[in-house]
Amino acid sequence: MMGFFRRRKKKYISLVLLLCLIILLLAGCWDRTEVNDLAIILATGVDQSKKEEIELSVQVFIPKPAESGQQEGVSSGNNSSQTLVRSAKGVTIADAMSRLQEKLTRRIFWGQNEVLIIGEKLAEKGIGDHIDFWMGHTEPRERADVFVSMDSAKEVLESMPELERDSAKQLRKLVDSQIGVKVTVKSLSEMLTGDAGAAVIPWVAKMSPSNLAVNKGKNIPFIKGAAVLRGDKMVGRLSDKETRGILWPRNEAKSGIITISLKDEKAFVSLNLLRSHNQLIPKISNGNWSIKVKTDADLEVIQNTTSLNLLNLKSSKKLKRMVVQVIEERERLALSKAQKKMNADIFGFAAAFQRDYPGTWKKKKNEWSEIFRKVDVTFETKVNIRRTGLSNEKAKKGGRER
Amino acid sequence: MNYFKHRKSKGYRFPSQQITETLSKLPNIPINLGLNQNIQILKSAYTDCSDVVFREFTIGARTKAALIYIDGLSNTQEIDQQVLMPLVQLESFDPETSIENVSKKLAVSDVLVINTITDVIKQISIGNPVILINNKIKGISIGLPKWEKRGIEDPVAESVIRGPREGFVETLRVNTSLLRRKIRHPALKMKQMTIGKFTETQVIIAYIEGIASNTLIKEVTNRLERIEIDGILESGYIEEMIEDDPFSPFPQVLSTERPDVAASSLLEGRVVILIDGTPFTLIAPCTFASLLQAPEDYYNRFLISTFIRWLRYLFFFIALLAPSAYVAILTYHQEMVPSSLLLTIAQSREQIPFPALIEAFIMEITFEALREAGIRLPKQVGAAVSIVGALVIGQAATTAGLVSSAMVMVVAITGVASFLLPRYAAGISIRMLRFPIMILSGILGLLGVMLGIIAIVVHLCTIRSFGVPYLNSMAPLKIHNLKDVLIRAPWWAMNTRPESTSIELGNLQRQPHDQKPGPSKGGD
Repeated sequence: MMGFFRRRKKKYISLVLLLCLIILLLAGCWDRTEVNDLAIILATGVDQSKKEEIELSVQVFIPKPAESGQQEGVSSGNNSSQTLVRSAKGVTIADAMSRLQEKLTRRIFWGQNEVLIIGEKLAEKGIGDHIDFWMGHTEPRERADVFVSMDSAKEVLESMPELERDSAKQLRKLVDSQIGVKVTVKSLSEMLTGDAGAAVIPWVAKMSPSNLAVNKGKNIPFIKGAAVLRGDKMVGRLSDKETRGILWPRNEAKSGIITISLKDEKAFVSLNLLRSHNQLIPKISNGNWSIKVKTDADLEVIQNTTSLNLLNLKSSKKLKRMVVQVIEERERLALSKAQKKMNADIFGFAAAFQRDYPGTWKKKKNEWSEIFRKVDVTFETKVNIRRTGLSNEKAKKGGRER
Repeated sequence: MNYFKHRKSKGYRFPSQQITETLSKLPNIPINLGLNQNIQILKSAYTDCSDVVFREFTIGARTKAALIYIDGLSNTQEIDQQVLMPLVQLESFDPETSIENVSKKLAVSDVLVINTITDVIKQISIGNPVILINNKIKGISIGLPKWEKRGIEDPVAESVIRGPREGFVETLRVNTSLLRRKIRHPALKMKQMTIGKFTETQVIIAYIEGIASNTLIKEVTNRLERIEIDGILESGYIEEMIEDDPFSPFPQVLSTERPDVAASSLLEGRVVILIDGTPFTLIAPCTFASLLQAPEDYYNRFLISTFIRWLRYLFFFIALLAPSAYVAILTYHQEMVPSSLLLTIAQSREQIPFPALIEAFIMEITFEALREAGIRLPKQVGAAVSIVGALVIGQAATTAGLVSSAMVMVVAITGVASFLLPRYAAGISIRMLRFPIMILSGILGLLGVMLGIIAIVVHLCTIRSFGVPYLNSMAPLKIHNLKDVLIRAPWWAMNTRPESTSIELGNLQRQPHDQKPGPSKGGD
């Protein structure tokens, strides 16, 4: 009899355990979504609409199945229907998004959104509140790239690049090439909340397509310089050349080609940047705030149309001096514009001072925008030319004589 | 279980029990003085057995004798020449001659004097003819068995590129000889026992004295002796009867049909169980790591073996987790997929009516069915099945809109991965475990996959095989033993045996240290 009870008890316990396991499983499935039910958003644009409203535009991927795989190569040129752009208005992004959802049959899925484009008008009005959505919502990627567009963001989304699948991919690949600035939602939010209170964002302009006859009216977005933000408002723009200049102090100049013209000769030397390291060395003495931009760069000569023999130590030194000059000139150009005109500390001077003079910084923090204007900037640039390439001086001379 | 116990306690008897009881009366009967009486008893035991031959003859013209054997199990030609001829042709035979002296007259190497009727039956049944002589209380069993046997062939399920090409066969004696040819030292012991009331299957426990621990040998012997079964037709019967955890999906006894694998296990201090009638021998204890070790690992150079072993580990996880990870990521964690890939998957999934989980189930079950069909179907039909199978889980399924092409890829790689496991039994258990993990992943996403993995790891940690932890050398961690798990150490560095099996004797040293080869230094 006892054995019988014990067996009953054992059965009972195992039943309870089984129930516990099943209860665990009951908690599942609540957020299950098939890929078929998702509207995968590739890029987002935010524009200023009339009144106090904003307009949220999204580029949604159309998962049209490939046509039986046979003529893929032929049809790839005509990718006009791979994506669609929808927009909705609202007082905040979240509000606009809920309106947008009404227009879409599938659930809006931010998880693959890699590009955020902000219209110029909105950027001038302030973007801080909108960036908050990207940081607060769980789905959007914080590593999405941010751009400011010359036209409305919607227009950029609707444009059709020739080489890439869609404009989102086009823009993303452009910033990844490391020639201009690359700003993600996360770094933008860091820049805006940081002590410097300024940011640069790549500027999107449009160019006409290569084949005008076929693709008439379809513009292709590309990156042309950068927009400068102070606080969370856009205060001005930097040209392509000036943007290159701000890369040096920001320690972001990692690749690129520098072409130098000689004064006494109408010929050029082009150098490829191999590696560079930049450092900001702040100094406060007698209330004078100054900063030294220290640059250390390695380059290689890739084209030399001058009569300069680079194997010669003297001409090599001369070339080095000129490279230093060019780099510093670029830095100065960008600096003068950002410092004097826009008064936006986009170089990270604030952080440098804060690191080296934490005590002073605490006291003077609130006066920074005043101080920044007066910061004395000096440059110390060191350049190494690693490779000069094969010197084919004779061949060139012979060619000229003929 | 309980059901049967109840029936038994109420006095119910299985018919087979009644028969065995009548047979069990026999051992008490010694061989009688009267030959006719003996033959009577034997004939009654072998009623309706047309294959049993009673050949009566006279020795020295007066003394009656009988030769009893089973037709087809004994070498009749040899019996005629070496046994009957000399006995029948004897001109005078002293009836007082002891049976031992008679046996000395026979020109046969294997002769045994037996005392009881049961012994007679036992000897006849294994193919040894028995001679009974009138007025003698003993009989002679002559070791002249002969039956049809299969030749030694390349083991089909465990083929290698480099390594011996011989495999065990169905005949026990051939198998022991194969082992003995590999390990000639007299320390190789082979204890024999008989299991199975009707089959009376001969089972041999082989081990190397001085390497295998005594407790292990004792434990294996005990477990084998405990078995009470009416028949053993394959080693699988015994495997299930001696396992530690019968409900575990993982095999706790290794089986092999390769003599070299059996020999290497013996050298590591394991016990090999050879069973008559099957080419598959059992090896105990078995650890998880040994499921992933292929015989060829030890024949190829160690760098290659280590690489292949790691490849196997990787594909072990793919075989277990690939479909569930795919389902989990695609239904819960779409942001984890690289953008371009997700877009391609979304394209291919667009017209699929099923959720990813169902899709995965359809494909996995189809694959398992095709695999099973491929084994069972006769060779002539096999080709047709493989063609149809390729269509079913290939392009046709995708075009029909039943499954996405990404899913086909996942199933295909999983299918290949499960065959990378060198032990078929291990591959099967992995394939089986795939399904519960797939369900978990469909319900809880990657969290479910993790839960599944945790459950499996916990289970693996709890089971033991003949006293050895299943995850031995990994958990409990024995860094020294990882030389044959993480890598396959070169033979000149494989200086100790695995600790699990031979530690008791302190006989771990396999070979001396410092045997790393190289050119001789200096000198002439």
